[in-house]
Amino acid sequence: MTNQISRRRVLQGITALPFAGSLSLSARAALAQSTTMTAAITGYSVINSLDPAKASLIPEFYVIWGVFNGLMKFDDEMNVVPDLAETVTALDGGGYEFKLKSGVKFHDGSELTAEDVKFTFDRVMDKETASPNAGKLGKVSKVEVVDPLTVRILTEGSYAPLLTFLTNARTGTQIISKAAFEAMGAEAFSRAPVGTGAWKVSDWRAGEGLTLSAHPDYFEGKPGFETVEVPLIAEEASGVTALQGGQIDMTSTAPAADVSMLMQDSKIQVLRQPGLNTRFISINLKKAPFDDIHFRRAVSMAFQREAMVQAVIFGEGVPAQGVIPPQLPAYYSTEPRAYMKFDPAAAKAEMAKSKYKPEEVEVGVITWSGGWWKRFAEIFVAQVNQTLGTKFKVEVTDANTAYARQKSGDFEAGVWGWLGMVDPDEYVGDLLTSTGWRNFQGYSNPEVDQLAAQGLAETDPAKRPEYYKKAEAIAMDEVALIPCFCSNIHNLLRADLEGFVQKPYSNFADQFRSMKLS
Amino acid sequence: MSELLGTQAKAPGLSERWGPVALYLLKRLLSGALVLLAGTAAVFFTIQAAPGDPALSALGEQATPEAIAAFRAEYGLDAPLMVQYVRWLLGFFQGDLGQSLAVARGMPVGALVLQKLPATVFVGFFALFLAVVLSLVLGTLAALNRGKATDTIATSIAVFGVSMPDFWMSYVLIFGLSLGLGLFPAFGYVAPSTSLTGALHATFLPALAIAAPMAAVFARTLRAVLIETLSKPYVTAAKSFGLRRPFILVHFVLRNAMVPYLTVVGLQIRYILGGVVVVERIFGIPGIGSLMVDGAFARDYNVLQACTVVFLAIVLLVNVAVDMICALLDPKQTVK
Amino acid sequence: MTSFRRFLQHRTGVIGLLIVVIVALAVLIGPALIPYGPEDMDFMAMLAPPSAAHPFGTDSFGRDVLSRVLLGGRVSLLISFTAILIAAVLGSWIGILSGYHMGWTDGVLMRVMDLLFSFPSFILAMLLMVLFGFSSANIIAAIALVYLPIFARIARNTTLLIREEPFIQASRLMGRRPAAIMLTEILPNISAPIMVQASVGFAFAIILEAGLSFIGLGVQPPTPSLGGIMSDGREYFSRAPWVLTMSGMAISVALLGINLLGDGLRDLTDPKLRERT
Repeated sequence: MTNQISRRRVLQGITALPFAGSLSLSARAALAQSTTMTAAITGYSVINSLDPAKASLIPEFYVIWGVFNGLMKFDDEMNVVPDLAETVTALDGGGYEFKLKSGVKFHDGSELTAEDVKFTFDRVMDKETASPNAGKLGKVSKVEVVDPLTVRILTEGSYAPLLTFLTNARTGTQIISKAAFEAMGAEAFSRAPVGTGAWKVSDWRAGEGLTLSAHPDYFEGKPGFETVEVPLIAEEASGVTALQGGQIDMTSTAPAADVSMLMQDSKIQVLRQPGLNTRFISINLKKAPFDDIHFRRAVSMAFQREAMVQAVIFGEGVPAQGVIPPQLPAYYSTEPRAYMKFDPAAAKAEMAKSKYKPEEVEVGVITWSGGWWKRFAEIFVAQVNQTLGTKFKVEVTDANTAYARQKSGDFEAGVWGWLGMVDPDEYVGDLLTSTGWRNFQGYSNPEVDQLAAQGLAETDPAKRPEYYKKAEAIAMDEVALIPCFCSNIHNLLRADLEGFVQKPYSNFADQFRSMKLS
Repeated sequence: MSELLGTQAKAPGLSERWGPVALYLLKRLLSGALVLLAGTAAVFFTIQAAPGDPALSALGEQATPEAIAAFRAEYGLDAPLMVQYVRWLLGFFQGDLGQSLAVARGMPVGALVLQKLPATVFVGFFALFLAVVLSLVLGTLAALNRGKATDTIATSIAVFGVSMPDFWMSYVLIFGLSLGLGLFPAFGYVAPSTSLTGALHATFLPALAIAAPMAAVFARTLRAVLIETLSKPYVTAAKSFGLRRPFILVHFVLRNAMVPYLTVVGLQIRYILGGVVVVERIFGIPGIGSLMVDGAFARDYNVLQACTVVFLAIVLLVNVAVDMICALLDPKQTVK
Repeated sequence: MTSFRRFLQHRTGVIGLLIVVIVALAVLIGPALIPYGPEDMDFMAMLAPPSAAHPFGTDSFGRDVLSRVLLGGRVSLLISFTAILIAAVLGSWIGILSGYHMGWTDGVLMRVMDLLFSFPSFILAMLLMVLFGFSSANIIAAIALVYLPIFARIARNTTLLIREEPFIQASRLMGRRPAAIMLTEILPNISAPIMVQASVGFAFAIILEAGLSFIGLGVQPPTPSLGGIMSDGREYFSRAPWVLTMSGMAISVALLGINLLGDGLRDLTDPKLRERT
């Protein structure tokens, strides 16, 4: 106990001290004028494109959210509400009619019209664009301009997630300026994009960061800050030191290890909540030994998910027993699942039914060398080996290779997970149906496919969750993959910065407009 | 007196001195260019043979097969390797290093490199400067006070320095001088063009982390060389002529010790540049080392190629420069 | 024997030798003396600070850091040693071949060595690791490749110096095969500078291995290596500073011993310094 106390004191000392003496020049630059905020994207060093149709990486979206608007957006309670749209009306044959807000201005001063909306969506759907986000509009058959401020999106049959996929989230359907795009060309547009958002990209230094300046004609009012500097800080831990040293004002993420310590720090606000993500072990069902259902069940019951949450992300998360995270409450299933919890006796019994002998199979669990992802695989392997006597081993590689191997089916197992998926179809549909693009496991069950298709078409919010819950239960009973945990998302802000409302998909630049120093 | 003083013998005329030096310089630069070319070929074919795909980094998780095919076509990655390399070479000779694939997609690599180079060069030179100053002080003190307490202390510092790998040193410095005493920032970079003092302040810790082990190596070399030089007949002679000690030290001893010292400095450039990669990452310096790490992990072939060229060129130029300085200091040793 | 006695008079060299012996003993038999295995996890004692039970504390899996540092030290030293051994043997062979035959063999081999030598060491190793995957064998290969040209240069230069010596010419005239001459006449004469370089290279190899592991390009877990432990420790540095600190200090102690020992060896073999020591 004494140890605990003294340790905490030491740690407080460490965090408190930097303020005593930090007098870095950049710190002064950031603080001197309250017209500039420095909001760092931490844990990433690469932004390739700020064109919504081409964007795919989280840091790209972090910025896009401030530069563009979608037709829809998530409000603070995560309801889908109009953004650029004034009203939304469902059409009988499937699809919606959108009345646009009038007088919305792009950064170049031109006004938003239905033509821009049509151009944006047509471009995302165009095969030539090869947009990684085309799937979001996969069921859209046609986009029609009715009048300059009215646009219709028609779908083949009813398509429940459409409005969700039109929000200003990780969707790629943010509205761009047709005239500006055609004048600039795709290449230039991707670096100096023209949207309706509160921020213009005034400078972009590859691998270093960018500068956003306020869009004075923003339709919801001019932002509080004149300028936001957005540096890219590759190491999350460096982001913490930079914040403590006053070089930056906020971060996009936080290292899980430091969270409890930072919460004691009066100079720093820690925003955190369970995130929209599921971390799981992806397993190759087309290969030995995970082609055997008993082997899968045995492995899934052979490790403690709670201990994993503690050891890997320092308690900053919750154990998972399915693919849909608790932050989608309507779809989240609290039904206990037999094979999704630690039970060494049952695990051994299942293993006995398997056609493989635990000591005879060699399984490589692919991970990459980025911090906790490595420890995630490490603790999984160690626990499973301990419980079952298997010969699993960790295979650390780099993220690119890990992804390439999963995609090509050249793997037995690997750690995996996505952040920021907002519709249940992005979990059940993408991960568990036989045509899902993230279904690297090769899992296929016609019943699950059927249920997911019904869920996709069901527009009644009361009925829709049932399809996904059922589909998920079937897939988890067959252990289509091994869910492990959902992690919290974090933002760190200096204590006197206010106006940032955190959302579970991990939002960022969309909040800058309403932020100010208290 | 000049005869007595060995290497201080009559200097040859300027043209006599420069003739062979220029020829030698030309030869060195030419063979260096060949090494550079071979290096680009080696890196090009090795990275292409290795697993991984820039399309996956650039297009992310949601990339469809069509998107990947379009990407490969857009950047000419679908052509045979030999064709790709020849294309790259042709571009290279015209000063075009291609476009970035997955680190800053579509951006000209040349511009990218030029944007990152100043930070690396600045930190590198700062580190070199610190290492040279530290080692001159430590090495000279140790040699002049050979066997005394000063020698022991200086030598011990040097030995401890060489036992601190740069990344470990970085954390010790962050913990002590930054988080502990709050003297220097633990993170970030200020361009010298913005503020020179700001840049020196912001990059002091990373430069010191790189410099410490180097300074130790330099100091130990200098000490050994100085001890040897101090016992040379011409030094004894100079003393007997009644010249003052500082004069002897600067004009005869240090000057003659410079050649082996600089040779070692030249050899260490490989380690300095290597250290830059890790240290840039820890301190968040937007330099060529960070760029190369990003490029390697993202499989951005063009960025990797360009960084290879830059690093090979730096090593080459530094070595040539060291040779030149040595030649000017000691004309007799010039051309082997 | 005389040279060993002379070495014993080299104060710092002896201290270095002592440290090296202690480090070697610690990493060889130390792990067996500790009640915890380096892979034993204890979820009740995660990130425990140093105590009597765990003198170096525990890591995020509740593993004993002391035991991991000792085993990690063994792994790091073994990798570095093997890499330097390979580089020294291969480099000597290339150098002798090059220096003895001269001509185009020399030209080709030395240009390849020049190329390798032109790459910043850490960058060359990093590229090889990223591109060919992370494994102990690849780290050894990467480190060996970095040091190969240094050994080759030294071996070649020494060979060039002695190839025209009477005893070698005599062997040649007696009709001995070049391979035999290289092995019995030249090799023994270049072994001293190679040995000294190896001791210097060993220290740098440890740094290189640790640096690679530190940025995540190390041996595969659960095998610990000093750089790997530091890399883990860095992630939760502010919460459990002992993991990074203890492994970092361990590396410094090992390097200190090797450097002091190397100094001693160099003074011993460098005739110029020997006379006046």
